[in-house]
Amino acid sequence: MPGFDFSNYNRNAALHAQGVPLPKATSTGTTIVGCIYDGGVVIAADTRATSGPIVADKNCEKLHYISPQIWCAGAGTAADTEFTTALISSQLELHSLSTGRKPRVVTCMTLLKQHLFRYQGHIGAYLVVAGVDPTGTHLFTVHAHGSTDKLPYVTMGSGSLAAMSVFESQWKPNCTKEDAMSLCSLAIQAGIFNDLGSGSNVDLAVITPDKTTLHRGFVKPNERSQKLKNYKFKRGTTAVLNEKIITKDDIGKYVSVHELEATGEERMDIDP
Amino acid sequence: MAMFSQNPVLNGPNYSFAEVPQHAVDGLREHRFNPYTDNGGSTLAIAGADFAIIAGDTRLTAGYSINTRYAPKVFKIGGSTSSQDDANILLSVVGFAADGEALKERLDAVCKMYRYRHGKPMSVSACAKRLSTILYQKRFFPYYVHAILGGLDEDGTGAVYSYDPVGSYEREQCRAGGAAASLIMPFLDNQVNFKNQYIPGSGVGHELQERERVPLPRNEVEVLVKDAFDSAVERHIEVGDGLQMMIITKDGIEERLLPLKKD
Amino acid sequence: MDSLVARYSRPAAFQNETLSDDQYDDFQNDVSPSLSLKFAMPPVAQLTMSSYLHQPSAWLRAATDDRSNPNCPIKIAHGTTTLAFRFKDGIIVATDSRATAGNWIASQTVKKVIEINNCLLGTMAGGAADCQYWLAWLGMQCRLHELRHKRRISVAAASKILANLVYQYKGMGLSMGTMCAGVTPEEGPALYYIDSDGTRLAGNLFCVGSGQTFAYGVLDAEYRYDLSEEEALELGRRSILAATHRDAYSGGYINLYHVKEDGWVKHGFNDTNPIFWKTKLEKGEFTNVTSSLE
Repeated sequence: MPGFDFSNYNRNAALHAQGVPLPKATSTGTTIVGCIYDGGVVIAADTRATSGPIVADKNCEKLHYISPQIWCAGAGTAADTEFTTALISSQLELHSLSTGRKPRVVTCMTLLKQHLFRYQGHIGAYLVVAGVDPTGTHLFTVHAHGSTDKLPYVTMGSGSLAAMSVFESQWKPNCTKEDAMSLCSLAIQAGIFNDLGSGSNVDLAVITPDKTTLHRGFVKPNERSQKLKNYKFKRGTTAVLNEKIITKDDIGKYVSVHELEATGEERMDIDP
Repeated sequence: MAMFSQNPVLNGPNYSFAEVPQHAVDGLREHRFNPYTDNGGSTLAIAGADFAIIAGDTRLTAGYSINTRYAPKVFKIGGSTSSQDDANILLSVVGFAADGEALKERLDAVCKMYRYRHGKPMSVSACAKRLSTILYQKRFFPYYVHAILGGLDEDGTGAVYSYDPVGSYEREQCRAGGAAASLIMPFLDNQVNFKNQYIPGSGVGHELQERERVPLPRNEVEVLVKDAFDSAVERHIEVGDGLQMMIITKDGIEERLLPLKKD
Repeated sequence: MDSLVARYSRPAAFQNETLSDDQYDDFQNDVSPSLSLKFAMPPVAQLTMSSYLHQPSAWLRAATDDRSNPNCPIKIAHGTTTLAFRFKDGIIVATDSRATAGNWIASQTVKKVIEINNCLLGTMAGGAADCQYWLAWLGMQCRLHELRHKRRISVAAASKILANLVYQYKGMGLSMGTMCAGVTPEEGPALYYIDSDGTRLAGNLFCVGSGQTFAYGVLDAEYRYDLSEEEALELGRRSILAATHRDAYSGGYINLYHVKEDGWVKHGFNDTNPIFWKTKLEKGEFTNVTSSLE
């Protein structure tokens, strides 16, 4: 049977009723934005993924490929945004192959909303869909329950209010590509600094009728500072109860071993 | 008065209620609200041979929002005036900021009263015991805080006392509290108390000698504190903005403020 | 009916308690806390309770009991193994030193033997703050007894003061399982178990805490009244070691005391890890643990 496997549903519901907590899904408490300009569209996202109050990934990718000229920014449950966009990307490719036409952004948006509506919000994907197709430049948001919006500038995720404040105070009609890029970048940075669910870097994609340019790490305002002390332990610091030495020749029977050049402090002790 | 009559059922200030009044019994209505909020943040204290350092980040959060980027968590206690220039005790509180503030004010009042009546500052060990009883006084409606007290003991040695929310306390060499305690404490166990560190080549198998525990010098402790917080900021969303460090020595209390990442 | 009982059966210590009273009280006794026991109560209406849920004690439980509510906001330190037993030369008292709050090891260096005075010992199991506070309070009561009656208090009397006190607070959420050990000329070596339910028992041998069953396993097998001092100390140590080995909520250091007629003697606060390996390698015990590869 294609689709989701519900065979553990009853067991999990019973366990949950007994007080067993649900496993924590990595949720990208996120800032994502999009903005149309004369001649294309820009979407951008931060790069923090969280699990509760803990940062699970400091530099994750929230800009997903749908087709060469359609891209999607995802907020919500990380796995849901990833698999939903991949699924729709595949369907859209097949559709484009069978019709012999370039995929349209509305088609993508419709497939997404129909898929998400069917699952009544249980698929926690909140998306910004942007692209250029033969009918023009388009920008949409799709909520997990299936509702959509079509606007010249959009924000989503836990940092959406911070980001929207930038658009509402600085957006002007008929902006240039550079304007749109800096506006999106500033909106994401507003999320990065003012929303705890968002952080690290700005990823940004510019989609024009002839190409898409992905700027991974467009701005990096949060580089880690150098540690003040060296925490390398002297060899033999850890107590050992017993040891068994596997030589390079031994392990070479199962995997291929490559020698890597290393110098000074970086060098490890390797048996000859 | 107008403010207090806004809410006719409660006849008091308005709170954000998790539950609205549900039923009426004998014409009386009942409210349930959650008097606690977790304001995030983290603290850290390390005692040395002739000093103690207490540090805390300065971010104050509620949910995914930052309420302020500068709210101190470390306070001087028991000076003779409000400037606290001659204070001899440090207190850090993390958890629910309002309870923390109330606890600090109460302990400070007690220490000031002691100084006024006895003509000398309260010793750290006495203050530590008193803080325990202040916390226990609210055993059935606790202060939602993790408090750490620091100072110099009668011999001039650095002292750190840590507390649970209802007043159980213990003198320790080092302690991390708050949101990132579980990230910082294992690092401290290894780097301050040298847990799981042995002297290389000191023996074979069970003869291997543990690394001897010696109090760290001040400059090294300051480095550890900064590195601990830089790392906590990387992995905990509620920690960041600024690092407030108070160092107490026989010459008084020094305060330092260092920047932390703001995302 | 329940609500009626609840309404009229609040302990006497809590009559006329309000927050503002408490605050006023604090300024009165900022230097010397008075002997009367006044505790701040949560802002939960206490007039007509239609359900048990609306009692202050239930509110406290929802906020602090990590067993019934794993997401409770306030985690109170719990988890322990403590033991004490009588033998011909006095009483051995031994404990581990771990404090846990949920799954978090809050401390590995807790002093769970509380020195009430130089000849009375108390042990700590359950809420750390409850035990620390009330045993310190018991120390005060014992000293007052000495001053009033010009002689030392008996262990029976001391333990009863504590038992009566905790019984006053029954149902309010105190959590303590404690043992009082002392040697007096009139009683000889005396050992009492008191818990927050109000139980008070005299006995030869007790183990208390989450690791009690493991400690009993060793202690019951080897215990005799005519143990020598050295054997008794070793048995106390070995019983705690067994508990730290199998109970995840016990561990850290082994705290050993010997109570004699002229006061107690401390026999160290030692790391379990080297003791474990010494026991395994020199005595050939713990053969379940092996470091061999394959």
